[in-house]
Amino acid sequence: MSEQKLQSQTVQTTGHAWDGDLQEYNNPLPVWWVYTFYATVIFAIVYWTIYPSWPFGKGWIGGVSNITYVNSEGETKTHSWNTRALLMEDMNKAAVAQKPYFDKVSAMSYEQIAKDPDMSGFILSSGKALFADNCAPCHQAGGQGVVGFFPNLTDDDWLYGGSFDTIHETLMGGRRGYMPTFSEVLSGEQIDQLANYVASLSGVDHDAGKAAAGEVLFHSETAACYYCHTNNGTGRKDMGAPNLTDNIWLWADVPAAGGAGGKVAAIRSVIANGLNKGVMPAWAGRLSPEQIKVLTVYVHELGGGQ
Amino acid sequence: MAVTTYSGAEQYNFDIVKKFAVMSLVWAVVGMFAGVYIASELAWPFLNFDSPYFSFGRFRPVHTSAVIFGFGGSALFATSYYVVQRTCQTRLISDGMASFTFWGWQTVIVTAALSYVMGYSQGREYAEMEWPIDILIEVVWVTYLILFVGTIMRRKQPHIYVANWFYLSFILATALLHTFNNLAMPIDLFSMKSYSLFSGTQDAMTQWWYGHNAVGFFLTAAFLGMMYYFVPKQAGRPIYSYRLSIVHFWALSFMYMWVGAHHLHWTALPDWTSSLAAAFSILLLMPSWGGMINGIMTLSGAWDKLRTDPVMRFMIVALSFYGMSTFEGPMMSLKEVNALSHYTDWTVGHVHSGALGWVAMISFGSLYHMMPKLWDTKIYSRKLVEWHFWLATIGIVLYIVAMWISGITQGLMWRAFDEFGNLQYSFVESVAAMMPFYAMRAIGGMFFLTGATLMAINMFMTIRQGKRESAALEAKLAAKMAHA
Repeated sequence: MSEQKLQSQTVQTTGHAWDGDLQEYNNPLPVWWVYTFYATVIFAIVYWTIYPSWPFGKGWIGGVSNITYVNSEGETKTHSWNTRALLMEDMNKAAVAQKPYFDKVSAMSYEQIAKDPDMSGFILSSGKALFADNCAPCHQAGGQGVVGFFPNLTDDDWLYGGSFDTIHETLMGGRRGYMPTFSEVLSGEQIDQLANYVASLSGVDHDAGKAAAGEVLFHSETAACYYCHTNNGTGRKDMGAPNLTDNIWLWADVPAAGGAGGKVAAIRSVIANGLNKGVMPAWAGRLSPEQIKVLTVYVHELGGGQ
Repeated sequence: MAVTTYSGAEQYNFDIVKKFAVMSLVWAVVGMFAGVYIASELAWPFLNFDSPYFSFGRFRPVHTSAVIFGFGGSALFATSYYVVQRTCQTRLISDGMASFTFWGWQTVIVTAALSYVMGYSQGREYAEMEWPIDILIEVVWVTYLILFVGTIMRRKQPHIYVANWFYLSFILATALLHTFNNLAMPIDLFSMKSYSLFSGTQDAMTQWWYGHNAVGFFLTAAFLGMMYYFVPKQAGRPIYSYRLSIVHFWALSFMYMWVGAHHLHWTALPDWTSSLAAAFSILLLMPSWGGMINGIMTLSGAWDKLRTDPVMRFMIVALSFYGMSTFEGPMMSLKEVNALSHYTDWTVGHVHSGALGWVAMISFGSLYHMMPKLWDTKIYSRKLVEWHFWLATIGIVLYIVAMWISGITQGLMWRAFDEFGNLQYSFVESVAAMMPFYAMRAIGGMFFLTGATLMAINMFMTIRQGKRESAALEAKLAAKMAHA
């Protein structure tokens, strides 16, 4: 310690000086600082007493606080504080609030649920949460779908049917849309004729001459489109073959395609390449029967349920 | 004046300080631009341009590395070399080693940024650099350690000034943290890809042991070192309490090492580990505040400087934000508060109140003090310093307020149940609700970036002015010599 103490201030400095004028006062620790530190020590000890804290042997010292909750079986469980028990407590609180409604859901028919004003609030709330967690990634938050990938659930057009039972069947077992590739069976000219005919069915701009030739092909054994799409082109819901006459498009993005040529080209591409991507997963086993029932009613009410 | 520069240049190695100081400003502008860009991507996602090279995931580490290691790191190299030489009254022991740390460190930042954009990342927060860059960091850092310790050992002063303890603890701790966090096995000698030696919860724990102590020693202790030299120098007053500096130094160093696990509340981490860390975080509050008290009380008796000296204002605002964020941190580390704040923008806001409010502001203040001295001149424009101060302060406030609102909104929306026991909001609804706050945050960042750019221009002009002045003086001297 240097002995030359600088006494110019009321509080002394330590007597060291660096780089010309750098010095330090020898002030004591601020009292409030010391006492606040002691307070944090007491806080820490209390915190460690409440929660599990210090490792001990092969385990740890559990805290004195407990978590008590009623599980879904109606049993009261008590655990010393831990994150999992806290999660169970939260989840069971939600489950208890949901239970009377889910009980009603399983007891009532679809029509009863849809008509019951008491249930509509629950269906909206639960259906929205279930839809957002499970369906929205493909069908989008509002159920509007994505042209070229995922069907719109809010319109009147149903690939597999829009009744409660068919929607339920779709949810339970999933769906797999399929249309064969025609580029190897038909010539480019024939595919072009078919595309013009399909365009004409929905009143989309087309070449009338080609469409007439396409109409013949459509009903012929060469292309055999009518097998699935029927003679009128209105489709078959039992096999998910879409209605071609309603100007609603899922796979070929006709509305967005530019000009008459572009619109027909969009249809041509689907005919030529076929489809093997209309896959919807099965939800049976992943969601409870009540949850699927809620989703059935929710999707039915989203748009034109039949 | 010219005479002091001349003797100064002989006595100390200021060339290395100048180089790091200039690069610090360069990286500040680059890194903060990257920050504003990714903040804008969150508000206006078209800025991704559907390209992986522009994506948030690759640009985010470019931002963090450029500001933490580029701007902050270069500012620490510059000031630590400046402070250690002046307070030990001795030259750095080796110019070659000093120069190596400069070129090595700049290579680290450039290669790290390029590798992120190309898609290479260890996926360890604030340590995304892959193994070849990690090895270079290790070599640079050990050189830094040897250089710093060697210089302290050759000091011509009996005592080691407090700023040097802080700098030394930062260098030592960073060496330790960097080494253990980056233990990894490359998949091939010629591949950039490696796998960590740790896995699962242990890996998470290692990452946050590193992550939080990087905050503690790189972003706190080191900048406290800066504070302990530049605040009393700028104020022209002695440090308030020597005793407080010792006590809070050791308390800080001891406590910080325990608290990393508070980043892993509500995860697979054992409950006891997380409550241990939470309580140590509370214990860390007063040791952290020791630095703030010492800084602010140093100014007591010279408060008028706040009105007259814009550089002092940077330092005091820095200390205030330091006090605020070291209070907020322990609060957020309590399990119950963390249940709300975890994974939300509140954390992002907290980090930035520390990073912008404390780290950047104390660096700006220190560089404003040091750079004119290095080039032996005055600041080119005090008015620009004033502008910088207000732009930076408004920018921080916009940023933090936006993140508080969006963070708490996120936390509340994610946990909201309706009367039927169902989640009230879907996740995407909470994302949509963030839009105005993300825009506000990006604007706050733009303010801060504009301020930093003004500083870079101001310092560029200051350096030019200094060079012109010394050239004019030398010409005068030469003319006198010729006459004599």
